[in-house]
Amino acid sequence: MSDDPSLAPPAGRSVLCIEDEHFIGELYDRALTKNGYKVTVITDGVKGLAAAETNQYDIILLDLMLPNLTGIEILRRLRDPHRSAPIRAKIIITTNLEQREDVRADIEKQADGYLVKAEFTPHELVDFLNTVR
Amino acid sequence: MDLLQQLRRKIRSSVFAALIVENLLLIAAWYCLMEFTDLSLPDIAAISLGLSLVCVLFITYVTTGWLIQPLKVFWDAIQRLSDGSRDAAVPAAKDLHLGRELIVTLTAQIYQLAGVASRTAAEERRQGADPAQSFIAQNLPLPLILLDASETIIFANPAAARYVGLSSEEMKGKNVYMVLDMSFPSEDTFDGWLKTAKAKNATAVSSWERVRLNVRDNHPARFFDLAAYYNRGNPDKVETILTLFDHTKQYSQEDQAVSFIALTVHELRTPLTLLRGYIEVFEEELGGSISPELQDFMLKMRAQAEQLMAFVNNILNVARVDDDQLELRLEEADWPTILKAAVQSLSLQAKVRGIELRCRIATDLPTVGVDRLSIQEVINNLVDNAIKYSGDSKTINIDAHLTKDGLVETTVQDFGLGIGTAIMPNLFSKFYRDHRNRAQVGGTGLGLYLSKAIVTAHGGNVWVRSREGQGSTFGFTLVPYAQLAEEKRQNGSQEITRAAHGWIKNHSLYRR
Repeated sequence: MSDDPSLAPPAGRSVLCIEDEHFIGELYDRALTKNGYKVTVITDGVKGLAAAETNQYDIILLDLMLPNLTGIEILRRLRDPHRSAPIRAKIIITTNLEQREDVRADIEKQADGYLVKAEFTPHELVDFLNTVR
Repeated sequence: MDLLQQLRRKIRSSVFAALIVENLLLIAAWYCLMEFTDLSLPDIAAISLGLSLVCVLFITYVTTGWLIQPLKVFWDAIQRLSDGSRDAAVPAAKDLHLGRELIVTLTAQIYQLAGVASRTAAEERRQGADPAQSFIAQNLPLPLILLDASETIIFANPAAARYVGLSSEEMKGKNVYMVLDMSFPSEDTFDGWLKTAKAKNATAVSSWERVRLNVRDNHPARFFDLAAYYNRGNPDKVETILTLFDHTKQYSQEDQAVSFIALTVHELRTPLTLLRGYIEVFEEELGGSISPELQDFMLKMRAQAEQLMAFVNNILNVARVDDDQLELRLEEADWPTILKAAVQSLSLQAKVRGIELRCRIATDLPTVGVDRLSIQEVINNLVDNAIKYSGDSKTINIDAHLTKDGLVETTVQDFGLGIGTAIMPNLFSKFYRDHRNRAQVGGTGLGLYLSKAIVTAHGGNVWVRSREGQGSTFGFTLVPYAQLAEEKRQNGSQEITRAAHGWIKNHSLYRR
């Protein structure tokens, strides 16, 4: 964990983690909670979208391969310019899926961050989220 | 038939008149000889006979000439027509003494018939060829494109239009390279061939396999075989004919291999994410409370997880290189910073094997143009190899300096097993590994192949120097950023992108 005060999380920032791999959700929950985040983990696409639309979160961690509704579809709906209530949460794509570069670039345009889960330990993820404003 | 009758009468009366004239001449000659000479009767008879003979011969000569003349006119007419000169003038008939009108009429008739015949033949050809041609063009199940001298499309059949996704009319008048954005698997490209064929001014035929049609709007690329014919001076300005044979299904299997690899990588990454997460939790929670031996095991476990992650990235990048998907963006960077960071991330792997990484970086290095992630992988691979092949030696030297040619050279030197001369040439091939060391040393034989592709795409070179039993030195060069910036300025491009691949672009692509 970094001691740099600029990377410290604002107290009680809320994170919605839409992640179908239960163990990964568990690890992220543990690391983020330890660092002052309020975490909700949801393992299903449809339920994840519903949660993102009904509650206001500061950050949404969005997996791409999800049951019932893909992360790409959730992203599209949350970033739909015709939405009546805009989603103010920062959306960070967390995936282990390898995309074609053009597809990835397209996703990155709509999201606020894109990271490959295997390349970040839970603490490195926390460090990254601390920089997301 | 009136004319023929006239001619017959004319000939008959001419011959009759000639005979009368001849006989009158004879009688006159006889009379003169009797009256004015004192020749004897037999002499006069002989002379008269001789005279009459000369007259007959003369008449025969003249009339034969007159009779043969029309035949000559016919002969000339037929001869000229058979040469194919349809527009030749009707032969002059003014020298004709007999039946001029008839001969002129008959000759004109011959010409008329020949003209009809030639027109009929042409018509037959046209009527015979046209439907077949248009039938073939419309229904040929292969894309067919005809080009003129300026490589502009003058015809594209419906199959070509369907293949390219434009209408035949839209394709017409466009430059072929604007419509067909092609990449070839080797230096032997269509535009290169066409240039040569044009320079030689000869008929040429060629074909290419595995040509890639680059399609816009994120559609998957198509693959086809291409056959082309070139000849100057064809009718209707056609110089080049192109036919495409689609093989997308067959050739894009590598694309499917990539998605298979993507799937494999996903399945590898998930447990890897968890392993790294759990290791982190253990290190954090147990920290100093466990024995030094267990701490050491923990460290080794983390090093192994990191090595596996690097391997997963290698697989992905090799798949990208093979599929022309690895695109590098070269940006200005401080080389010592990148090199130190990369070496730092490898120190754990070296440490768990008791190896020390000694880094010596010259202070006068110019900034370089690199794609950070890719070039880090090159350092990773070279140092990782050095660690694997170090044997019992415990030191690896990493050195960066400026060469005489002004390039930034980085070397990785180990003092381990070394490489036999026999296998040196294959070192940078895919999946190549030193057989002798397979049992002791793990690896896939992808690292050097990938490193070479990445360094080459950066405009640099990879080299190796080794002696068996004494260790190896791998080196690679990078181009100073200033040099790339100059290139960028000249091309007027916004960024410097390079593809690490074996595909060659059709160079005329952006020619207008």
